[in-house]
Amino acid sequence: MKKLLSMLLALVMLMSVTSFAAAEEPLTVTVMLPDFYTDVDFVVEGNPVLEAIEAATGVKLDIQWIANSSYGDQTSYTLADPANMPMVMVLTGARDPIVVNSARQGAFWDITDMLADYPNLSAGPEGVYNNIKIDGRLYGIFRSRAQARGGIYYRTDIAAEMGITEEPKTIEDLTALAMALTEYGKAHDAYALNMVKYVAGTIGIITVAHGAPYNWGVNEAGEIYPAHEDPHFLEGLNWLRDLYAAGGIDPDFMTIEFGEWDKIERNDKAFMRFDCLDNCYRQQEWFETNKGVTDTVWAMVSSVTNAQGENRIWPQNAGYSGEIVITKAVKDEATVRKILAFLDWCNTPEGCTLINWGVDGQTFWVREDGFRYTNPTDDADMSLQVQQFQHSLNQLGTNVAGDKTPYLQQKTALRMEYDAYQLTELDKIINDPCHALTSETNTMMGTTLSQMLEDAHVQYIAGLIDEDGLRAAWAEWSAMGGEAMTAEYNAAYQATK
Amino acid sequence: MKKAERIAVYGSGKEYWRRLATEVKGSIWLYLLLSPGLVYLVVFKYLPMWGVVIAFENYSPFGGIFGSEWVGLKWFQYFFSNKMWTRYLTNTLILSGMNILFYFPAPIILALMLNEVRHLRYKKLMQTLLYVPHFISIVIVVSITYVIFGSDGIIYKLTEQLTGTEIKYLSDPAVFRWMIIGQTIWKETGWGTIIFLAALTNVDTQLYEAAMVDGAGRWRRLWHITLPAIRSTIVLMLVLRMGSVLDTGHEHLILMANAMNRSVSQTLDVFVYQQGIAAGQYSYTTAIGLLKSVVSIILIVTSNKIAHALGESGLY
Repeated sequence: MKKLLSMLLALVMLMSVTSFAAAEEPLTVTVMLPDFYTDVDFVVEGNPVLEAIEAATGVKLDIQWIANSSYGDQTSYTLADPANMPMVMVLTGARDPIVVNSARQGAFWDITDMLADYPNLSAGPEGVYNNIKIDGRLYGIFRSRAQARGGIYYRTDIAAEMGITEEPKTIEDLTALAMALTEYGKAHDAYALNMVKYVAGTIGIITVAHGAPYNWGVNEAGEIYPAHEDPHFLEGLNWLRDLYAAGGIDPDFMTIEFGEWDKIERNDKAFMRFDCLDNCYRQQEWFETNKGVTDTVWAMVSSVTNAQGENRIWPQNAGYSGEIVITKAVKDEATVRKILAFLDWCNTPEGCTLINWGVDGQTFWVREDGFRYTNPTDDADMSLQVQQFQHSLNQLGTNVAGDKTPYLQQKTALRMEYDAYQLTELDKIINDPCHALTSETNTMMGTTLSQMLEDAHVQYIAGLIDEDGLRAAWAEWSAMGGEAMTAEYNAAYQATK
Repeated sequence: MKKAERIAVYGSGKEYWRRLATEVKGSIWLYLLLSPGLVYLVVFKYLPMWGVVIAFENYSPFGGIFGSEWVGLKWFQYFFSNKMWTRYLTNTLILSGMNILFYFPAPIILALMLNEVRHLRYKKLMQTLLYVPHFISIVIVVSITYVIFGSDGIIYKLTEQLTGTEIKYLSDPAVFRWMIIGQTIWKETGWGTIIFLAALTNVDTQLYEAAMVDGAGRWRRLWHITLPAIRSTIVLMLVLRMGSVLDTGHEHLILMANAMNRSVSQTLDVFVYQQGIAAGQYSYTTAIGLLKSVVSIILIVTSNKIAHALGESGLY
């Protein structure tokens, strides 16, 4: 029955392919995408996925892959050189100063008034579209992400070895777990908490869990204040500082590159991490494929109860991770509309399948049980072919109204748990009230100012400065522009009420 | 040269141009030989300089130099109104000061040492080996530093064993500047000797012989013959160095920076990179660059004047 169904679906897809591909010349669209498989070459000639996309839409993708680790810098360089911009770009930070500046300078097509003409694109939630608007105008299509994404995940086997079998429910439980892992780490040349150069997530999760707001908070008077002014913020920092002092964090964490983060866990050098929880099931799957692990050794916890009795989640995003923009390298509106039609198609079931997963039998396999797999049989490892053909093409996936791919993936327990969070945990999410607002100071100095704060927090965690030093750094931040930024955000916030 | 003298030699007005024309005609091939260099200078050095006007505009790459809004001195005012600049300036000056104090003499000392080597083949071999670090990318130098000085590195462990205290070479702000100077010395000292060694070849060997007859030892000869002989080169290099007091480069510092030491590693160049390239504030950072250039010119002119006053020929 299921086989019949999938055959029928394939037939429908085939028919839509033939109907879509009119005798028009294919439109070559240059695209800049983050590359997650820098060590594998993307096959361009005879790539079944690209061919299927071209056949379905008449769009020939000419992809410029940029290593994800340097994508931010490359975005800046690209936007400084309008003559050589790609037509379509993924921008990983929709509210970064470089993006706001470029949008204001006219780097991207304003698609605010065109969106309604594309049913699949306009089906996306308006709130998330509002989050990526700049000065009230829409310049891109957001790349949808789960809302309840941030959390805690850790190695259950090691916790059990140290006598902890229950998942942490409160912050005290979490502390006990961290201390147990620290103790284990000391005997095994490892650390409890996996921390690297990128600290925003780690600090965000623990401070929000303690009761601090996410980036900005609103006080009783209805005014905006920076998160670090909340007393619970310091509690969160102290938690990390204590763990660091106890030897639970690599003393050199601030010099470890982002790219090492996963490897540290894979090499058994750390056993707990505060990050996006989808990484938890990915690590579990990696352990299964590469270490022959059969038990579930990773567990995820979306939130722990704090001293005030609240459960709070740091969401990592505002429903999206970056956006896709059409740059002014496209000269006329007709072509813009063609590209929008293409992006609209990317949100149809057929488009979702091709962009997110590729071609059945080439980059994914629908097996007897009707589920989608990344290899044809359990013992075959076809990941190289998948990487060569599909590569990081899913970075172009927007899925504004969800991934409509008809074939489901056989889900592990962890994946199901993660999906369940997206329904049950939504009310625990703490949002950034200033996310969609703009501040001039932030656009001018934001990068430098947030760096200052982050540096001070890292120094405090590592015991390089004491509380007085931390407060001095906060005062310096205020004087250098933080105060102006707060005032601007507050004014913008009052205006939206 | 005084104006009257100049007129006497070259003539004035039409006379001047006529003489110039015959001069050019007379040695036309020499001037032709010069022309590629001149064209290069004009096309690649002088014409791009006009781009500096974006310091007075609200430049957007999409409007271009001619299509962007003119804002006058806005960015200069913004720079000074924001307190942040003092921090960057302080870091720049300290690092540059340390560089002049500790790195600048290094090639001179090394060149003098090489000059004393009497075994010619050994000297040549040493010279070649000393040039090698200059050709190693700073990225690799920093990577090597991370390996040796990181908490698993040889030197880290060694100092820990010997002194009993952990020195956080990579994250302690107090150590940061010394690391930068150390890396610069390691990488550039050998290369820096070239100009001093060239100057040393001009020293008349008869002077040494005469001094030896008079009973002067090695130190005496070094102090009374060698050093005075290369003094003008040293002054010239120092004047040139003064012109780049505000230049620290950004690549090396960004590679070595982390959350712990950023308070001392952020210099003007790093700031310009962060704001200009990373955050797209092209006009603002061009204005800072322009300010830097003005300061550099003032420093070069002043130090050259001082050199003249001390009886040196200086830079020009």
